[in-house]
Amino acid sequence: MRSSLPVEHTASTTLTPIQPPVVSMTPGAPTYSGTADDCSTEQPGHHIRAVRTLDPRTKLFLLLTANLMLFFHVTVTTQIILVTIFLIPLVVAGRWKLTLNFALTYAVLTGLGFLDPDALGVPWLHVISALAVGCTMMLPCFITGAYAFTTTSPSEFICAMRRMHVPESVVIPCVVVIRFFPTIAEDYRQIRNAMALRGIAAGGWGLVRNPAQSLEYILIPLLMNATNVAQDLSVAAVTKGLGHTGMHTSRTQIRLRIIDWLAMIVVLIPLVLDIAGVIQ
Amino acid sequence: MTADVYSNNVSFTYEHADEPALIDITLSIASGQCIVLCGASGCGKTTYSRIVNGLIPQFFHGECSGAQRTCGLDTAIEPIDGLTPLVGSVFQNPKTQYFNAKVIDELSFPAENMGLPPEAINKRIAKTARRFSIEPLLNRSIFHLSGGQKQRIALAAATMLSPRLLVLDEPTSNLDAVAIEKMRELVAQLKAAGMTIVVAEHRLAWLNGIADRYLVFDNGRIAHEYEAAEFLALSPGCIGAMGLRALDLQPYRQRIAQLESQTASSFSESPTPLLSTRNLSIGYRGRDGFTRTIPDLDFHAGQIIGLMGHNGCGKTTLVRTLTGLIKPASGTVLLNGKPAKPRELTRAGFLVMQDVNYQLFSDSVREELLLGLDESDPANTKHCNQVLEDLDLTRFADRHPMSLSGGQKQRVAIGSALMCGKDLIILDEPTSGLDRYHMEHVGELLRQLAAQGKTVLVVTHDEELAAGWCTDIINLEHNEDASKTNS
Amino acid sequence: MTAPNSPETNAQTANQTAAKTAKTGKLEVSDLITIGVFAALYFVMVCVATLVSTLFTGGFGSIFLPAIAALISGCVYMLLAARLGKFGGITVMGVVIGLFLFISGHFVLSFIASIVFPVIADLIAKAGKYKSKALLLASYVVFSYGLTGPILPLWFMKDAYIASLQARGKDAAYIDGVFANINTGTFIISMAAILVCAIVGGWFGQKMMKKHFVKAGIV
Repeated sequence: MRSSLPVEHTASTTLTPIQPPVVSMTPGAPTYSGTADDCSTEQPGHHIRAVRTLDPRTKLFLLLTANLMLFFHVTVTTQIILVTIFLIPLVVAGRWKLTLNFALTYAVLTGLGFLDPDALGVPWLHVISALAVGCTMMLPCFITGAYAFTTTSPSEFICAMRRMHVPESVVIPCVVVIRFFPTIAEDYRQIRNAMALRGIAAGGWGLVRNPAQSLEYILIPLLMNATNVAQDLSVAAVTKGLGHTGMHTSRTQIRLRIIDWLAMIVVLIPLVLDIAGVIQ
Repeated sequence: MTADVYSNNVSFTYEHADEPALIDITLSIASGQCIVLCGASGCGKTTYSRIVNGLIPQFFHGECSGAQRTCGLDTAIEPIDGLTPLVGSVFQNPKTQYFNAKVIDELSFPAENMGLPPEAINKRIAKTARRFSIEPLLNRSIFHLSGGQKQRIALAAATMLSPRLLVLDEPTSNLDAVAIEKMRELVAQLKAAGMTIVVAEHRLAWLNGIADRYLVFDNGRIAHEYEAAEFLALSPGCIGAMGLRALDLQPYRQRIAQLESQTASSFSESPTPLLSTRNLSIGYRGRDGFTRTIPDLDFHAGQIIGLMGHNGCGKTTLVRTLTGLIKPASGTVLLNGKPAKPRELTRAGFLVMQDVNYQLFSDSVREELLLGLDESDPANTKHCNQVLEDLDLTRFADRHPMSLSGGQKQRVAIGSALMCGKDLIILDEPTSGLDRYHMEHVGELLRQLAAQGKTVLVVTHDEELAAGWCTDIINLEHNEDASKTNS
Repeated sequence: MTAPNSPETNAQTANQTAAKTAKTGKLEVSDLITIGVFAALYFVMVCVATLVSTLFTGGFGSIFLPAIAALISGCVYMLLAARLGKFGGITVMGVVIGLFLFISGHFVLSFIASIVFPVIADLIAKAGKYKSKALLLASYVVFSYGLTGPILPLWFMKDAYIASLQARGKDAAYIDGVFANINTGTFIISMAAILVCAIVGGWFGQKMMKKHFVKAGIV
């Protein structure tokens, strides 16, 4: 009963005299169909990357399928088919380089897996060959993971989590993690500069020579800063209503389109056929 | 006229604090007014701004008494998200107050939290972006924006829900003159649109003409209250006596211009300079890489050189080049007349960073100064005691550096430079967010270093510091036409 | 969803004077943000550990990943436990880490491991009211096993691995030879390494806490 109250409250108070048309115009405003692309296409010159990626939930499904491949000991044929399928969305998303890297790695590793070291007369190749097989088994997970990681914007990710009813106590830390990564990198650079100026543990070797000490010198300022940032971020987020008990909406809208369902079915077919024993 | 902020006998003591931060504040702020809260550091102005936007008692805990109504709501019982659509807040540090990685997400953030429908959010974003002229930034990562841009985004995000009241807590302390001017325009525009504005601020000059009333805080109480005309008519001496920053920066700017022209004309001084640059061009590669040429500069012992110019004109890059943290794009840096490698520059120079927390590593001030030196050597211990004494740090010798105030930390960092025998000491924005008293303290410290024969270089936007304490001024933006960017 | 004003918390504050506000026992927004910040730091530690582990053990990559991560992340863990001091923080951090590991392409088991172990770790730490040093250390050791997820496939997917090797015409005797070494031997070594490294790392973290954060008045 508490949660419904502030929402009503919002609706009334946001109708301040400064921007009266905003709410009244929204229902049928044709220029704002409400998809994520609307605002970005307005901005000339900046990332007019037409979003050609799947729904985050579909990406999750692909990841799960990749994991299932491990569970069900799929055959090499199925593996090759599925890896090829997994690479298609990466190409569509325009990640040519990544796709090429994965494709080459997979091809080389698969090739190594088929080597017959005894016939070649180099027995120690067995080790490499076995390792290569191990890696090819993990690769589908990495491919789908890279796809999910590189093509999902933070807002899509958050929206998907909220849609899947992930509790807010997991969603909020996830937003913060994404927000805080670049800060850590920048902090690290600053700390290394400060260490260089003081002549302590300069250069790569300096770090390794006394690892515990280096760890202390880097971690302590990093953690001190982290506690400050956590406090400042909390203040800013609280005043912007992050703790609000009502429904949180999302500007970014995600929906499962036909292509998403299609993708899910297409990856399932080889897997099911493999489990059924059709693909040998 | 209705009052948007109404405080009756408000007092507050922070958790774990002995002294109250606010005592018996009674005040009402009428709708549409702009009020400036000023006073020395620790006077209670930031605390009062937190009372107004409900962070106290909802977020900062402690002992609170009296009655506070903000936009008609009792902040003691109203949960803080009830105030969100009514009160927008902007804070001091541009780096730590955005919650989302992308500009557009940060703008939609408050609206999403309030549960507005997506179409309404997009409308508001378009409108806000136009009002703050940030359309080209919408799809950028906030991380890569300048401090001024970040603060503009923060202001834009704070107004996304069209609040009635805007609370700004030292919004300009990290900004350059251009960004402050932009901030002034925007705040004036918001006031004209009817918003009530409460600003806690050290730098007062930008608020002339916008502010309706000035409240001078002292030790948690409102010491003086002035109407704008009354306040602006006060003599500079009177303002200074209250510990406030200048209201009129014109005399300071003139003095800076004068110093700059002197610096340009007095080119050939007799002895070998500690550091000089010849045909130097600086920059770095990468996505937002750039290069620019630097006029030949000479830095002598005993000088206090102010390095000025708006953000993005290469001050930080120059400083990093001079301390050898990055390689020059071309040209040479001479140390005592001889071309120096970056490694030698790093050994000779020291940079007191804007965020000094990064450069304190030890668990006591004394340890910090002796870090990397032989502690058993009595000469070092003696030197250390001397430096502690000089920098007025003896009292804190056994304290943890992180438990000290910002100014004290700065002095510890300088102390560590003196212990290492550095001859060039560079300070990056040492007075950002400081009141007059602490700013003057920094100025005196610069003079002390120069008197010890150090070469002091200060990167600063602070006109009062530059005019009052620098012996030379170099403004990088004034010969920017020689520079080129490749972005 | 966190409800800041649940009946429980109201009851708690009512015990104190009406005007005095203090922290409640539930996870609030600020706690969740703190968790996020520390989870990011922990994740970076895991990345560093992956790098180091790969450098040392080559292709077998991540066998010692949890151990190395345990060795270097003690400070992060101890500071988080001290800053929050309430139940749920360690669990949520584990879940968030697991989620990021899963999305970045790690085995789905890693997600389960990084929920189960942190919950136990959280309970242990809670038993000591997040203050008992011994229990915090024990809790950190348990938490460190949460990272075994990414390397579990090495043992539990053994069958799949052997099947793939056989499918590629590998000699059965050779395969048996390889796994005789890998299986029990490395498993025990790897698990023992986590134990030792977590104790050392946790001890180091507690030492740093006392040396820096307590002295600086941050906790």
